Amino acid sequence: MTRVIEVPTHFDDRSFDAFAAGFGDWPPPEKVLVDARATQWASPYGLIGILTAGQALAEAKREKPLLTVPTNDEVKRYWARAGFFHHASELFELHGKVPRSGATGPSDVLLDVTPVRASEDVHGVVHKISEGASRILHGELGLEMKATLRFSMALSEACQNIVEHAGTSGWVAVQAYTFRRRLGRRVVVIAVSDAGVGFRRSLESAHAKRFGERWGDGAALEAALIQNVSRFRDPGRGQGLAFIKRFLDQWEGKISIRSGTARLSIVPAWDEDVPMSDHLPLFPGAQVQIIIPAQEAKTR
Amino acid sequence: MIQTIRIGLLLREAVAAPYRNLVTRPTGAAVRTRIEATLADSNCLTALLDFSDIELVDLSCADEVVAKLLLTVQTAYFVVLQGLREDHHEAIEHVLTHHRLAVAAVPPGCRAPRLLGWAGTDAREAFTCITEQGPLDVTALARGLGWPVSRGREALGDLALHRLVRPIGELYYPLQTA
Repeated sequence: MTRVIEVPTHFDDRSFDAFAAGFGDWPPPEKVLVDARATQWASPYGLIGILTAGQALAEAKREKPLLTVPTNDEVKRYWARAGFFHHASELFELHGKVPRSGATGPSDVLLDVTPVRASEDVHGVVHKISEGASRILHGELGLEMKATLRFSMALSEACQNIVEHAGTSGWVAVQAYTFRRRLGRRVVVIAVSDAGVGFRRSLESAHAKRFGERWGDGAALEAALIQNVSRFRDPGRGQGLAFIKRFLDQWEGKISIRSGTARLSIVPAWDEDVPMSDHLPLFPGAQVQIIIPAQEAKTR
Repeated sequence: MIQTIRIGLLLREAVAAPYRNLVTRPTGAAVRTRIEATLADSNCLTALLDFSDIELVDLSCADEVVAKLLLTVQTAYFVVLQGLREDHHEAIEHVLTHHRLAVAAVPPGCRAPRLLGWAGTDAREAFTCITEQGPLDVTALARGLGWPVSRGREALGDLALHRLVRPIGELYYPLQTA
């Protein structure tokens, strides 16, 4: 028997829970078919979410899942351009014609879908992002020049969370696009995802006790994002997310972290998201999304 | 005597690649180990860490390289930073404040250092006074700033504790930067 999991037509952080719900109990006992034929658009968060599912199934020693590629040629080309199929072909049995990726000139993809396995990969990611980030952040979004370095710093810290806490590898992608419905402005989105132990298990031994019965995925996210705690006893730890929050506050940005069955967000005024969502469908590891919007003329 | 240490050079040795970004904890720890090894082989009392070849310093590296270095060499060396850009300042200031540490940093184009990190207003004023005027004892500092002697003693005590001035006899000397 095969479990069919539909990729939402418009696949981003908002529709992610529907995708996660498709898996049921984790890991699903049946063979999995991820069906993206009807997908018209996917954010970087969505793309690396699919890869994370494939990775988690592989790590759970499940049968290699199937992935039917989008039928829309433009969507397929975009996914190819973002490097998605290159990595998906290792985790899924692909069905449908996949275009060859080939970068041509400047693109809205600041960073292709990139695996993060070790510290060396973080160096590569930061090195790769530096040129394109300046063009988009300063040129298009109207952020001050020094924002490029802060952005790279945020990216570095977010990727290091995988290396230091996940217990397995993960993925990162960065893209610029226009938030038409939510904001009506250009944004840059950093998406980072892993199939690892998640925040609750990572922090459990050091912090569960003081939360008592409240301890769970939501409390773990709160400890990490609001209280800046770390699983390490080293007093220098836990500063990365605090620094990211400070930048985002200046830029009216948003950070949301989903782990296990909960999602916690620092919500800017332009967004209608709820700060904490609990009892969500279980999904492995942790998924982080950072959104930085174009600055309005008055704040430039 | 001053030992100048080019962080960019140590970074390239640590990652065996031509990257100019000081990022990730393992990289920061490797760079710090090389700094400590260089200082262990040196007779100099002041280490001038030169960041001018560095593009980006993330929080993890600011913590591993600067904060942990200050914590480990607190009794042995005077540490001064130079070649920092504004964003470097920001990351280093953030971690030092977190640890309640401070370091002297020479801004680009200047010779006089300024304090980065966690330091009280009195300690900052005393640091600036000694940097501008040269060696002073407690009485001279207090007179110069219009403070009671006890206040001057406390401020200089703070600076000496964090190795931000060099006490020799009754005098407190500014850190060497050139």
